[in-house]
Amino acid sequence: MSAEDSTDDLADEFVLGLLDPVEALRVEEAMATDPVLAAAVASSRDRFLELDATARPMPVPPAMWDSIGAAIDRAPAAQAGAATVAPAVAAASNDNVSRWRILAINGMAAALLLAISLGWSIGNRLEPRVIAVLLDTNGTPMALVEDFGDATARVTPLVDFNVPPGKTMQVWTLPSTDLGPVSLGLLASSNTTVLEGQNLPQPNEDQLYEITVEQEGGSPTGRPTGPILVKGFAKVPR
Amino acid sequence: MLGESNGLGVALSRCAHGDRDALRHIFDSESGRMLAVAMRILRRRELAEEAVQDAFVQIWAKAHQFAPERGSPQGWIMAIVRNRSLNMLRDASREELSDDDSLSRMMDAASLDEAQAAYSALDASSRLRACLAALDEAKRKSILMAYVSGYTHGEVAGRLNVPLGTAKAWIRRGLASLRGCMA
Repeated sequence: MSAEDSTDDLADEFVLGLLDPVEALRVEEAMATDPVLAAAVASSRDRFLELDATARPMPVPPAMWDSIGAAIDRAPAAQAGAATVAPAVAAASNDNVSRWRILAINGMAAALLLAISLGWSIGNRLEPRVIAVLLDTNGTPMALVEDFGDATARVTPLVDFNVPPGKTMQVWTLPSTDLGPVSLGLLASSNTTVLEGQNLPQPNEDQLYEITVEQEGGSPTGRPTGPILVKGFAKVPR
Repeated sequence: MLGESNGLGVALSRCAHGDRDALRHIFDSESGRMLAVAMRILRRRELAEEAVQDAFVQIWAKAHQFAPERGSPQGWIMAIVRNRSLNMLRDASREELSDDDSLSRMMDAASLDEAQAAYSALDASSRLRACLAALDEAKRKSILMAYVSGYTHGEVAGRLNVPLGTAKAWIRRGLASLRGCMA
């Protein structure tokens, strides 16, 4: 089976809702950086859309509109200034599905190796809920995120990142598709940094973490807008 | 005006600029059909309404991510309510953890009829209809159950009384044939 076939298979199964929740999240996340996958999903959606068009519209309770308005008023953050920022532009890469699968597997192996070599569990009072090794597109470990699940996370860069003047690094995680990517905080330098952020759902195995390059002060939309430097999936320390 | 693709695309870009009236336009033109699509999957009115409501909050928050070169605005909007409905369905079946529930779902002839009805209601000139018609009945049914009613591989297998691997293979081959036919 060619890579193209497997991308199309994956896109169709995603659109039909046949993937398990973890796979579905990964596809959703990969679409942001993989134009081939994103195009396959879009064309799959449009292929089946006619079936939805056969559904006879049902009367919607008028009160629903007010509930929607109230829900939006409670969470306005994502909207402010959203339109002034171009959607995430991925660095040109031939990232494809098999590649991010390999990336994830590399991540697991690297997580184990690093966990051993860094000896994080020995001297630490607090044990992280999850650890994610963030990799570049070549699968090289570039940074370590330990999320303690109490609104703090420690980020340990493993290389020196060169960030252009006027830009900063921002650390993100994806607790769930519904919540979308959430900022853990800014990384001002390539030094180990403890980020204290908002209270999020307890981090889980396979949760995605990534670092993007954003304008100084962080993404104006509250969502990642810049290129992804590194990313990886979390593992729970055993 | 907003029923057509261009109008919806414009409305989404206005949502991304914080224009609440644009969301209202989308709500007025699309919510009835979104509710019907959510009902096909969730089968319970109050759950389907919750899914549509959540979908509009997501449409508002994610409108800036909509890229016209990546498919139609309808497809993008429907995907949001479909995903929300599927997540609610899977969460509910996990929480209840009862085989009874998934069993009753498998036995739910109504949803099979619904999947079949959606297919029958496709326009006679529809390319999708012609390509679905070209599939074996088993493959066509499997794909329709998954897309229209939100069945998992396991539920398709149970409903059609075949091993899981067979259902997976039918769906995968059926989807590949459809892609070839509609290309």
